[in-house]
Amino acid sequence: MAEEIRAEMVANVWKVVASEGDTVSDGDTLVILESMKMEIPVVAESGGTLTQLAVKEGDVVQEGDLIAVIS
Amino acid sequence: MTVTQAISEASLDERDPVVRLQTVFDTGTMRLLTTRDDVGVLTAAGLVDGTRVIAFACDATRMGGALGAEGCRRIADAIDTAVRERVPVIGLWHSGGARIGEGVAALDGIGQIFAAMVRASGRIPQISVVLGPAAGGAAYGPALTDIVVMGPAGRVFVTGPEVVRSVTGEQVDMERLGGPDAHGRRSGVVHIVADSDTAAIEQARNLARLLGDQGRFCPDDVTVDTPESDLSTLLPAESARAYDVKPLIKRLLDEPGVELHAKWAPNIVTTLGRLAGRTVGVIANNPLRLGGCLDAASAEKAARFVRMCDSLGVPLVVLVDVPGYLPGVGQEWDGVVRRGAKLLHAFAEAVVPRVTLITRKAYGGAYIAMNSRALGATAVFAWPTAEVAVMGAPAAVNIIHRRTLAAAPPEEREELRARLIAEHERTEGGVNRALEIGVVDEIIKPTQTRRRIAEALAAAPPARGAHGNIPL
Repeated sequence: MAEEIRAEMVANVWKVVASEGDTVSDGDTLVILESMKMEIPVVAESGGTLTQLAVKEGDVVQEGDLIAVIS
Repeated sequence: MTVTQAISEASLDERDPVVRLQTVFDTGTMRLLTTRDDVGVLTAAGLVDGTRVIAFACDATRMGGALGAEGCRRIADAIDTAVRERVPVIGLWHSGGARIGEGVAALDGIGQIFAAMVRASGRIPQISVVLGPAAGGAAYGPALTDIVVMGPAGRVFVTGPEVVRSVTGEQVDMERLGGPDAHGRRSGVVHIVADSDTAAIEQARNLARLLGDQGRFCPDDVTVDTPESDLSTLLPAESARAYDVKPLIKRLLDEPGVELHAKWAPNIVTTLGRLAGRTVGVIANNPLRLGGCLDAASAEKAARFVRMCDSLGVPLVVLVDVPGYLPGVGQEWDGVVRRGAKLLHAFAEAVVPRVTLITRKAYGGAYIAMNSRALGATAVFAWPTAEVAVMGAPAAVNIIHRRTLAAAPPEEREELRARLIAEHERTEGGVNRALEIGVVDEIIKPTQTRRRIAEALAAAPPARGAHGNIPL
């Protein structure tokens, strides 16, 4: 089943670490957000293939926005 | 009736309550307290890792585990017995709710269970394991206890999919309505989601051992000043980088602990485990999630954990790395003021020994809420690089020196800002000012973290809050 990773809070996309098509495992960093003056890694919560990366560096994400899909 | 007799009479049905109860206890130690019949509930006593425990189980092989007046009386008796003997009680739930045929008598019985649970609340550890559906009245049974563990087939809801569909038109199945994901991640009803029934029972046994036989502190046994005892190596080198606090908790404890509410409100971590030989409750901000901000749900989660530990006499360790409260309309409307107040109340009223360690930063209102000196912490420690402040220096300078900065010529503004930030950090930031005014007691070496926290907890007079554990 595809796992959708969504933003937990309003943030800037500071760095995109992974790319579409990458094989990722539980705990791997996908992108790094900047919010509350902190750099917050967004990590995979399951292993699989990163089939979609919905953000690019400099984007602003709102709570609930799609960041990535792993399947 | 002996256990062997009971089993020989039972089918090999895995829902069989005797089979299920046996897995709770150490081999050969279980004694049934009630006879096997059609009442729908069995109760038993025995040992869990040598600690005496009382347990009860719904009999899912009789009317789907539906509860009648007599079955309810058995559960209430089991709980009252556990209170008299001052031992933990474990309940195995698999019940469709009240026996409709018994009418109001069954409802009255279920009410008696609730009353017994509340009588016992805060006096003995109460652990629930939901192995099948626990619907209607049976849903509130687990919900009133201290810790709820759910197996893969566990389903907890007040009204089932049929009723939901007829009343609201929503199409939903039992799992989506009240399964492990619904309650482990969304509602917070379930503390621990287990991937098998065996694992669920094993967690209940761990909890009964941790809470029923709490051990004693032996701080002298803790190794210090070795590379392995330097817990600060688990923080990232960059001060603004978020990280997962769970490896830090793992290293703090003697052995891996039991995390409660792992997926719900994950920006704060609540874990039971042993430190220097004794059970403690660890509360830690997790910067990996929401930057470690406190919000409505995480404050409520921590508040309930603090009150549970206080009522059961479990000392607390509070690991602080918090940027503040999460801002936003959603939070305010979600009751971050009301629900955040629960955490202030819980810490301020707690009488168990409770030690705070500021690992990196403690800002603003969240600093106060995380077991600060003002709320009565037994001791507040900090690592040398920690920062205690109303807010980070850059943000503070922008507010305090707003006019000065605005009046400066644009080409000099950034240099002035940098100077003001450095000045602010020297006078107000860092941890030295916090030491001067006594809100931090001591800077400790990261290599001595385990020893110093254990010593401080061990030196405090043991105490236990005289209150129940309302499911906040």
